[in-house]
Amino acid sequence: MRRSRPLPAASLHVVLALLDGELHGYALMRRVEELSDGAVHMGPGTLYGTLNRLVDTGLIEETTDRSPRRDNERRRYYELTPNGRLMAIDELTRLQGLVRRAAGHLPGGAPA
Amino acid sequence: MSGPARVIRWYRLAVRLYPRRFREEYGPDLVLLVADQLRDEPSWRVLARSATDLALTLPTRHLEAHMDRSPTPLVPAMFGALALSSVVVGITVGHPLVLVACVAVGLVAGWLGLLSAHRARPLTQPRPKTAQWWKLLAAGAGLLTALIATTTATGELPEGAWFIAMVAGLTAVVLLGAGVVLGIAHLASRPSRGATA
Repeated sequence: MRRSRPLPAASLHVVLALLDGELHGYALMRRVEELSDGAVHMGPGTLYGTLNRLVDTGLIEETTDRSPRRDNERRRYYELTPNGRLMAIDELTRLQGLVRRAAGHLPGGAPA
Repeated sequence: MSGPARVIRWYRLAVRLYPRRFREEYGPDLVLLVADQLRDEPSWRVLARSATDLALTLPTRHLEAHMDRSPTPLVPAMFGALALSSVVVGITVGHPLVLVACVAVGLVAGWLGLLSAHRARPLTQPRPKTAQWWKLLAAGAGLLTALIATTTATGELPEGAWFIAMVAGLTAVVLLGAGVVLGIAHLASRPSRGATA
């Protein structure tokens, strides 16, 4: 089932970060920073609050027990559900369209 | 105790400020995340970021936890008390303008009370429309009472207020009538005890 409303900013960053595959909390935090070019730094409370909501809405799921882990400490891994992946791609498409349309209104055309 | 160890100790204590369910579910992960950060970043930066994040997310997590709780009749009762007290204050003061303002506040509070009571009710099977008869009856009776109280307190109504009083009176009668009709229809449509057993 696809949602029509855009995702909140924190959820959007998390689902986009998970497009490449499963990640644990710290790796997810780093991936969000990397994708946003260092502009977005999610704190622990923000990250796990967002993960909690996304699990509740069925966009991501925990995959900790799915395969053996190398970590000494037990970490929780998350990945997109099929619905979550569709949602992430929808959001990417929506954002690309937004950027394209907005760039068309810039004086002198789109920035290089 | 080193800087990172102190930060972890502080954060472990701070995590207790989150609602119990969130803390039990994610507490160890939150602390582990801070420990991970401390391996790559200076302690002061992790401390500053964690403290800011804590201050920003604590209210949200508590609000979410509160909204997940079973509904209580506290909010509807508070609005009901406000509605009643505002009407009482209006009648006691006796000044027409104060009375009108108090009745307005009372009506809004009453409406909010009904709305919050509706939202706080446990989810059950959908009820037929005729089951709403008592609300119409209560609204009509409330409006009529407010109207009688206003005219009694002010004695003679000013010229401009007659039209408003007439409209209010007519609305009250319509609400009462509709309530009675729906009530009869609802009682008639209820299955008898013998039929349901």
